[in-house]
Amino acid sequence: MSKLKLNLGPQHPSTHGVLRLILELEGEKIISCEPDIGYLHRGMEKMAEKLSYIQYLPLVDRIDYLAGFFYSELLCRTVEKALGVELSKRVKAIRVMLLELNRIASHLLWIGAFLMDLGAVSPFFYAFREREVILKYFEKITGQRMMNNYFVFGGVRRDIFSLEDVENIINILPDKVKDYEALITENPIFVQRTKGKGVLDKETAFNFGITGVNLRASGVNLDFRVKDYLYERIDFNPVVLDGADSWSRYKARVLEIKESINIIKQTLKVLESEKELEQKLVNPLNLTLPEGEYIQEIEAPRGLASIYIKSTEEKSPYRLKWRTGSYYSVNLLRKILKGAYLNDAIAISGSLDIILPEVDK
Amino acid sequence: MNWTEFQNIFKDCRLEGEKIVINSDLLKTIEFIKTNYHFEMLKEIIASDNGDGNVELTYRLFSLEDEEDLLISINVQDEAESISSIFESAVADEKEIFDLFGVKFIGNPELKRLYMPEYWKGHPLRKDYKEDDERLNWNE
Repeated sequence: MSKLKLNLGPQHPSTHGVLRLILELEGEKIISCEPDIGYLHRGMEKMAEKLSYIQYLPLVDRIDYLAGFFYSELLCRTVEKALGVELSKRVKAIRVMLLELNRIASHLLWIGAFLMDLGAVSPFFYAFREREVILKYFEKITGQRMMNNYFVFGGVRRDIFSLEDVENIINILPDKVKDYEALITENPIFVQRTKGKGVLDKETAFNFGITGVNLRASGVNLDFRVKDYLYERIDFNPVVLDGADSWSRYKARVLEIKESINIIKQTLKVLESEKELEQKLVNPLNLTLPEGEYIQEIEAPRGLASIYIKSTEEKSPYRLKWRTGSYYSVNLLRKILKGAYLNDAIAISGSLDIILPEVDK
Repeated sequence: MNWTEFQNIFKDCRLEGEKIVINSDLLKTIEFIKTNYHFEMLKEIIASDNGDGNVELTYRLFSLEDEEDLLISINVQDEAESISSIFESAVADEKEIFDLFGVKFIGNPELKRLYMPEYWKGHPLRKDYKEDDERLNWNE
């Protein structure tokens, strides 16, 4: 049979950004896949070497605009740990609450977009309806819907308010998630297109550096929140499923939304008892880090995110590097799409939750 | 992992803070660590230009059992051994380092420009990279 080269993307509605896949087909079977990235490269690491820390802070939300809080947190955490700044209980609770709200918003968007990839249009609107409530709350407290630039070195930009909105969100969300599950989880069309498709076994996942939900849906209990200092007083169970296919990755994200609601409930209790906002803000002018190398990491919605800073006591970092989860998921496509059928390609790549600004940096 | 045992096998290494600095045998060392100490995952490869023509590569290995990191570092000039035969994720990391630092990884099947266009000259994260270089008038 003759081979056909098919160019998928970069301007394809279901590639979640600008991802180009060069597929080689034999009939309908994919025999090789080559991801081509770099359409969204903004030189995030190069820019860091030119800007001071406070100038760089508003940019880092843009690495992953759907989960901006996580990247702000990483940069702030590096500066705080390097200078030995201790966060008060209230600041920690505020950060955890916003991170988890952000995680829910990110997963909701994924559910909507993934189902859209599969051809189901209505879940997209349902998921966006709930995400909108969360973004409205972000706008209320930070002034921005996305790319909030709310965390600063040593604390948060201003105190949090309207906690009744958060209570409202966590009260309505479980019912809505139940609705999605009724609509999607056991839907025969959805099950046929995802069960047993895009199987990712443990060894391959390790070999390709896959972390986060994609790894936990393959039966590995690895959640970097467990050892995270922000989450040390918080009781939660990482979601681990055994299916290792696209369906399990969907299910794991739905369960993770529930787990995040659980975490937010605990932070709300802390926020009620700790009314006073104590911050030890770092003066951003002439801010330098002591000489050395710093690595910090956090469990972002799309896998392990980490930052590396090498400082030579200059105003800007000597070298700054980001590790993002999606970058490795894109690399995995080379392997996971091999042998799959063309009509599953979008379903499989969609299930990995790839976001391109994070890949291109 | 057992540092003294490791040092008996690989004599050409030293401990620098939390990092193990090696001078040669990168592929062998990483393979040894992966099989004997169960570091199953390569989190990332960090490259950093030292400013003296050397690029420092730091390999961040991760062990699931102890949930801890191990840093292996080596100084290279323009060439290094690829570890893509041990960790598939290294293919992606090495590609990025080739694009931004110009380090050629021998044995990596996919070395080519990643973020920068194919006709781009120079490697942007090198300290000797000139932004106003005439060679970069690629758009004319």
